[in-house]
Amino acid sequence: MMKKLCFLAFGVYFGFVLSRVGASDYQVIFQMFTGEDLHLAWVILTAIIVGNLGMRYLKAKGNLDRNGNPIEIKQKKLGRLSIAGAALFGIGWGMAGACPGTVLAQIGEGRIIALFTLSGMLTGTYLYGYILSRWPKING
Amino acid sequence: MYQALFVNTWPWWVGGILIGLLVPALYYFQNTALGVSTGYGNLVKIISRSKLPWLQGEKFADTWGWRVFFIIGMILGAFIAGRVEGRPIFSLEMPLFTEVLTWPFLGYAVFFFTGGLFLGLGARIAGGCTSGHSIHGIANLHKSSIIVTIVFLVFGAIAAAILKAYLLGGGGL
Repeated sequence: MMKKLCFLAFGVYFGFVLSRVGASDYQVIFQMFTGEDLHLAWVILTAIIVGNLGMRYLKAKGNLDRNGNPIEIKQKKLGRLSIAGAALFGIGWGMAGACPGTVLAQIGEGRIIALFTLSGMLTGTYLYGYILSRWPKING
Repeated sequence: MYQALFVNTWPWWVGGILIGLLVPALYYFQNTALGVSTGYGNLVKIISRSKLPWLQGEKFADTWGWRVFFIIGMILGAFIAGRVEGRPIFSLEMPLFTEVLTWPFLGYAVFFFTGGLFLGLGARIAGGCTSGHSIHGIANLHKSSIIVTIVFLVFGAIAAAILKAYLLGGGGL
């Protein structure tokens, strides 16, 4: 239960920051993709660099978590269709002006339309599981 | 001070630093990789009570796992952000989109549902989303995440260019 409460707290932090930095704003996302306003691109790039520095720091400190267990980082593997999936995701990101994280921020802010984006995402997730049960190659 | 913290959009570097810190923080405190979209599997399992074999696997064994709490937290965090900013509790607006395009509500619903469908299906086939691949993966210099993120951005730019040319460029439909 402590773990879940900890993640609840991290989630509150993440959602708050995403909203405050404008990452959940349709216009900001759209204009990153058209190149008109790179605010969000800088946010993502800074996050990557800070994340990398933080991971280097943990490694330098012995690569251990708070409880002294070695930190395990798994690289996500690419399947044959991963690139096609990424393309689909990109189109959705550009269309809906949200990703699986920022749609939650939009909903928290009170944007009703984001509920449709979320419903679509849940349906898409279900569809993946359904296709996987009929055609396991989708993941291979 | 209140205005700068809670009303004005933060400078990019403030948000970038605070989001980036989540990657090492989640490893340090929970030995867990940052990621959001896998949790949508938990949500599907909760809502649909689906018996799909995929959702019976080890990853979703704890239906109400930490990922669900992370998701609930994110909604809550943005709810707080919206209230301190002074937003209405409910709004029908999507900046730019609903300003340029005055569609019937059903039109918005179908458009955003379709975008969401692509996002949900695409994230699972690609093995992650913006947080898991683009931020967590690239921060750890994972080649697969770099490739996937480039494809995310290229196709996002294509979609936005088409939208701009035919819908959001001011011409309308």
